[in-house]
Amino acid sequence: MDATLFVQLLIAGVLLGGIYALASIGLTLIFGVMKIVNFAHGEFLMVAMYLSFWLYHYFKLDPYISILIVVPLLFLVGILIYRLLIKPTIGAPVLTQIFVTVGLSMVIENLALLFWSADFRTVSLEYLQNAIILGPYPSLGMEEIIVNPARLIAFCIALFLAVAFYFFLKLSYTGKVIRATSQDRFTALLMGINIDRIFKLTFAIGIMLVGVAGALMIPIYTVHPFVGFEFVLVMFVVVVLGGMGSVVGATVAGIFIGIIEVFSGFLLGPESKEAIYFLVFIAALVIKPSGLFGLEGEEELERIEAID
Amino acid sequence: MKPLTEQLKTRQAAILCIVLLILVLSPLFVKNDFYLDGFILIFLWGAFSGAWNIISGYAGMVSLCHNAFFAIGAYTSTLLFLRLGITPWLGMFAGGILASAVGVILGLVCFRLRSHYFVLATLAFGQVSHIVSLNWRSLTEGAEGIALPIEPNLYNMTFAGKLPYVYIALFLFVAVMAVSYVIEHSRLGYYLTAFRENEDAARALGVKTGRVRLVAMAISCFLAAITGSLYAQYVVYIDPSSVARLQLSVQVALFTIVGGLGTVLGPAIGAMIFIPITIFLRANLGTAVPGLHMIIYGLILILVLLYMPKGIYGTLREKIGRIRATSKPEN
Repeated sequence: MDATLFVQLLIAGVLLGGIYALASIGLTLIFGVMKIVNFAHGEFLMVAMYLSFWLYHYFKLDPYISILIVVPLLFLVGILIYRLLIKPTIGAPVLTQIFVTVGLSMVIENLALLFWSADFRTVSLEYLQNAIILGPYPSLGMEEIIVNPARLIAFCIALFLAVAFYFFLKLSYTGKVIRATSQDRFTALLMGINIDRIFKLTFAIGIMLVGVAGALMIPIYTVHPFVGFEFVLVMFVVVVLGGMGSVVGATVAGIFIGIIEVFSGFLLGPESKEAIYFLVFIAALVIKPSGLFGLEGEEELERIEAID
Repeated sequence: MKPLTEQLKTRQAAILCIVLLILVLSPLFVKNDFYLDGFILIFLWGAFSGAWNIISGYAGMVSLCHNAFFAIGAYTSTLLFLRLGITPWLGMFAGGILASAVGVILGLVCFRLRSHYFVLATLAFGQVSHIVSLNWRSLTEGAEGIALPIEPNLYNMTFAGKLPYVYIALFLFVAVMAVSYVIEHSRLGYYLTAFRENEDAARALGVKTGRVRLVAMAISCFLAAITGSLYAQYVVYIDPSSVARLQLSVQVALFTIVGGLGTVLGPAIGAMIFIPITIFLRANLGTAVPGLHMIIYGLILILVLLYMPKGIYGTLREKIGRIRATSKPEN
C-alpha cells in the first residue's frame, strides 16, 4: 500500500468516524446518565434525516439550515417520549427498559414505512458536488488526495459539537449536575438534585444531538425506513468501546471504528467490514467492558427505585 | 391443607390432559391448509420462544442471538442431508449439539458481563451470525439460499400434506414446555431463579452460578436449533434472511415477554396471540399496509411492559393466586 492510498483511506476513515461519533454522543449520554440503552436511537436518527429531507423537498431548505428546525423538534420529541415511555421504566428491570425502546423502535420504523414508503431518498446539493482535492505533494511522494466536502463539513461540526458539549458537561452548572447524577444518582438525589428533571433533560439532549447528526447525514446517505437499524449497531459499538457516558470516549471510538471500517472494507472486501468491527466489539466487551474511557466497574449497575 | 393441594394437582392434571387432547385432535378436523399452516407456525414459534425463555426468562440472561442457534439448526440438518445424505431426523440432533457447543462457548466468554452489556454482546453476535451466513457462500449459498428437494418420504422428513408437520411441531412444542416445566421444578430452575434475583446471595449460598447458566444455555440453544431444523424441513427453503435474521431473536423475545417471561406457558400464549394476528392481517390486508403488524407488535409490547410487566400469563396467575388466597377457608 503506497503512501497516497494510505492517507486517502485514513482520511476517509476519520471522516466516517466523525459521523459515527456525532450520532453516538447522544446515545452515550443517555446510557451513561440514565443507565438505559436506547434501542430506538437509530430510529430517531432516521426521523431526523426524513425531517431534513422533507424540508428540503417541500421548502427547498438547505439541510445545514434545517438543523435549526430539526433540533428543537427532536428536543420536544425527546421530552414527550421521556414522559410517556422512559419515565415509567426508571427503576424497572433492565429487560423492561430495553424492550420498551425495542418496541418503540419497531413502531417508529414501521410508521415511517407506512407513511413514507420504502423508497430510498436522497438530497444532492450542487455546491457539494465537487470534491476537494489536496496535493499533489511530490516532496512526500504523494499524489492527489480527494476529500468529500459533505463528510468534511459533518466531521467539523461533529468535532465542534463534541468539544462544545464536553465543556458544557465540564463547566456549566447543568453539566455538573448531569455528571453528578451519572456518577451516583442516589447521592445526587440526597444533594437535592431533581433527578427526574435531569433525566428528562438528558434524554431530550440525547435525541437532539442525534437530530443534528441526521441533518448532517442527509447530504451523504440515502434515507429509508430501515436506515436506523443500520446505524444503531455501529452506535452501540462506539458507545461501549468508548465507555458509556464518555463524550471523549465516543469521539475517539467513533473515529477508531471509522478507520477500521474503511481499512477492512478496502483490504478484505466490503462485506466483511461489519463482521470485523463486531468482533472488535465483542473482544472489547470481554477484555475491558467499561470501555476505553469509562470508569472501572461501571458495567455493574446501581439500582434506583422508580420516580413518582 | 394437604388434600386441597392434591385436589388442585389432580385438577391441573385433568385440565392438562384435556388441553393436550384438544391439541392432538383438533388438527384432524381442520381441512383447510391455511389454518393448518397457522397451527404449525404457532407450535414452531411457541417452541422457539420457549427455548429462548429458558436462558432469558429463568436465568435472566437476555439473549438477542438466538437467531444464530436457529440458523445453525436449519443449516446443519439441511446441509447434512443434501451433502452427506444423512436423514434430518438425525441431522437435527447434530444441529442441536453444535448449537449447544457454540452457546456454551459464547457463555464462557460473555457470562461475566452484566445485564446491558450481555444484551449488547449477544446483539453483536446475532448480527455477526447473519453476516457470516450471508457471506460464507461455499457453505450456505449466501443470499440465494438452499432449497430442499421435495420427495415426500419419511427418511427425507418431507411430507406431501401438512398434517405430519402439525404433529411433529406439536410434539416439539409440548416437549419444550415439558422441559421448561421440569427445569422450573428442579434444582436447576431454583438455582437459575436465585441467580436472576440476586447473584451475590446465590453465590454466597453456594450456587455455581456460572455452571448452571451454561447448562441452561446449552438446553436453550439445543431446543432453538431443533426448531430451526424443523422449520427448514417444513418450508423446504432456507436463506439468511429467513433463518438468521436478528429480528427473529427480537420476535421470540416479544412473544415471551407478552405471554409471560420465566413461565412454562408464557411463550406458548405469546405465540398463540401474535401468530393469529399476523395471519389475520396478512389474509385481510395483504401488502396494502406494509409494516402494520410490526406496529401492532410494538404497541402491544410497550403496553404490556408498562402495564403488566409480568406478561399476560404471569399477571393472570398472580390474580388467580390472590383470589384463591382470599377465598380459601381458614383451615
